[in-house]
Amino acid sequence: MSAIELDTVSLRYVDAAADALDGISLDIESGAVTWLHGAPGAGCSTLLLALGGYAPRFTGGALRGRIRMLGADPQTEDGRAALRGRVAYVTAVPALQLSGIAATVWEEIAFAPANLGWPIETIRTSVDTVLDRLGIRGLSTRNPLELSGGELQRVVVAAVAVLEPSVWLLDEPATALDAGGRARLFDVMISEARRGAAVVVASEDADALGPVADRLIVLQHGRVVLDGRPAELLSGDAVWAAGAAGTAYADIARRAAGLVASPRLAPPYPLDLALAVTRWS
Amino acid sequence: MVVNAGSPFRMRDVSFAYPGREAAAVRDVGFEAGAGDGIAVLGANGAGKSTLLRLAMALVHPTSGTVEVGGRDTRGLAPEDVARDAGFLFQHPELQLLERSVTAEVAYGLRQRGTAGSEAEARARVVLAETGLDAVADEHPYDLSPSLRRLVALAAALATEPAVLLLDEPTAGLNRAARAVVAAVVRARRERGAAVLAVTHDGEFALEALSDAFVMDQGRIVARGAVEAVLGTRPSVPDLPASAALARRLQLATTSPRAAPVAVALAERCRLLG
Amino acid sequence: MTAGTAALAFTLPAPSGPLVLYAGVVLLVLLAGAARAARTAALLSLTIWGFLWLLHVVLPGGRGPEAALAQGARIGAIATASVYLLHTFDPSAFLDAFAARGWPFAPAYFMVATMQAAPRLRARASGILEAQRARGLRVGRSPLARIRAIVPLTLPLLLGTIAEVDDRALALESRGLGGRRSSRRTPLAPSPFRSIDEALCWGTALAVAAALAVRLA
Repeated sequence: MSAIELDTVSLRYVDAAADALDGISLDIESGAVTWLHGAPGAGCSTLLLALGGYAPRFTGGALRGRIRMLGADPQTEDGRAALRGRVAYVTAVPALQLSGIAATVWEEIAFAPANLGWPIETIRTSVDTVLDRLGIRGLSTRNPLELSGGELQRVVVAAVAVLEPSVWLLDEPATALDAGGRARLFDVMISEARRGAAVVVASEDADALGPVADRLIVLQHGRVVLDGRPAELLSGDAVWAAGAAGTAYADIARRAAGLVASPRLAPPYPLDLALAVTRWS
Repeated sequence: MVVNAGSPFRMRDVSFAYPGREAAAVRDVGFEAGAGDGIAVLGANGAGKSTLLRLAMALVHPTSGTVEVGGRDTRGLAPEDVARDAGFLFQHPELQLLERSVTAEVAYGLRQRGTAGSEAEARARVVLAETGLDAVADEHPYDLSPSLRRLVALAAALATEPAVLLLDEPTAGLNRAARAVVAAVVRARRERGAAVLAVTHDGEFALEALSDAFVMDQGRIVARGAVEAVLGTRPSVPDLPASAALARRLQLATTSPRAAPVAVALAERCRLLG
Repeated sequence: MTAGTAALAFTLPAPSGPLVLYAGVVLLVLLAGAARAARTAALLSLTIWGFLWLLHVVLPGGRGPEAALAQGARIGAIATASVYLLHTFDPSAFLDAFAARGWPFAPAYFMVATMQAAPRLRARASGILEAQRARGLRVGRSPLARIRAIVPLTLPLLLGTIAEVDDRALALESRGLGGRRSSRRTPLAPSPFRSIDEALCWGTALAVAAALAVRLA
């Protein structure tokens, strides 16, 4: 059984002219990084909110179809109770994800396990482990409100990673980070997938996610229009045709192809600098 | 950088330390931005970049040295005075949004300086068109997505046609489409003579929208040059974006390291290679 | 924290011998090492004492120095105890105490989080001031300018905070807060409810009962 199963899921927001999600059926596996891509409004954020049980509950609207996550339905109270502590949700703005009552980073990370009633010794070892995993041991006594954006995002991720969730839902988690912060965040996602979690990340950054993701799902107008291996999909025009952006080198190739007809500028597009240089020298 | 007696923006030997702190946040900084110049302020967190922008807007005053905006020394000026010549984009638009419609929000700065309501609104609508926000002109700013809210704040800063634009991480957290709008608008304003000073971690934005860059480290300027010469040269600055890296490695004959001209040069290369 | 609560309960309904009470509370507070709290409270009380003296002794129709002293002492005792409570309030210890007794965590969390939000809101308010000034808002000295500045300074604070509520609620949920069948929260630090605190609490309750009994008799 897959970690996440969607069966003909549709969602329409209040006063909306069209469905935000339109009949989506998907199975998402554990132990892999699944990348959701699409133009703004295509439904990637909405899909993550629905998976987390936050839409339509917080957003308003109506949902049809069935979602099963780790054998429970996140759209019901019983399901959410069963899923407590097993699903992590991370957004782009770390400051909004703080508890607001932690005086130190250690307390911030201990917040969730304490809420779930873990024994204090287990909390201590788990927080310890995650401080090292995310390389933030040096921050453990700092006040979360005094951290920089990149440090804060790492702390916020640690604060949910400590629960060893089986599902990660991340919505553009790296947009406020610099290159170093992005790389560190994606390393965490990869290691979580290797640990066996189902990692689902919505992102417009093809250059960053291409090398990291195991599966690329492209949404357009609330529907799944592409589903396959990132390298394959990014080397062609299909991603662009679906209104989503491909890699920077594919972009340059397509612009040049608009000026000159040349086999060198046709797909398969190079995915990184080394491949681009080889192709176009 | 254009050096000009009538430069819209100039800093000379500026130093500043926050009261109660021993280490200076900004040390001996001097540079000039002429009409049409676009300068990226790069460097690690805590290097003094945001403080530099705040000095420019007279939100704080230098402990030594001079800051000149629109030809006036900022010593003795308040931020609302500098607003005559400069527009500031803060990183968190929620700090300023208060009107019931996007149009009213964009017109706010004009109304503060006494422009009549109807003219302010008309000019606001022009800026909304420039930033692609026509469709949401009558929406409540808080109903918009974070990316659109930042664009509204940008439009608001542009409405007064400032000679100097001060931008604090203008593209952080924005979606792709919004980032493209910001870059295009900043370029366009520079072409109309505005001087731009932008703190940024976004290498692509710096390349597309700006001309020069300097790197700050512990309050000092430690490197300066054209944007493509500074990006990717040290860990505290963003990597060189794809188009510039490609142009360099392939030694493409291009007029500029930006994506569009590099694509033209690449097309030419492929045409020659067959 | 518990000592502070005990002191509060101690002072509230005890109308007889308030001067002794006041002295006792100040002594306790000084003993507890919170000299600064005692000083703040004393300064607060001083203005009230002055006013009461004026009312009861200087102006005609007052009830004389005994009344002034009594009322002053009452207020002084309460003020000192309250200031001490605020001074010693430790949010983590407070929350841990709640958790240790198995009381529902969410209400305590929201209370503490609201209190802790104060410095954040203050920082935000100053950010708002800067942003509006940078757009030309004049915040001169004239009272009219200040009145005109109220809306552009407070509205973004309100709206901005409200706009964040959904995102914050979402994040809190994923950290195990709220929802049905909440398990008992684990206290993060051993609860320092010492026996002396226990004694103080019982002592307080007894003293209050005794005072009431004397009063009613």
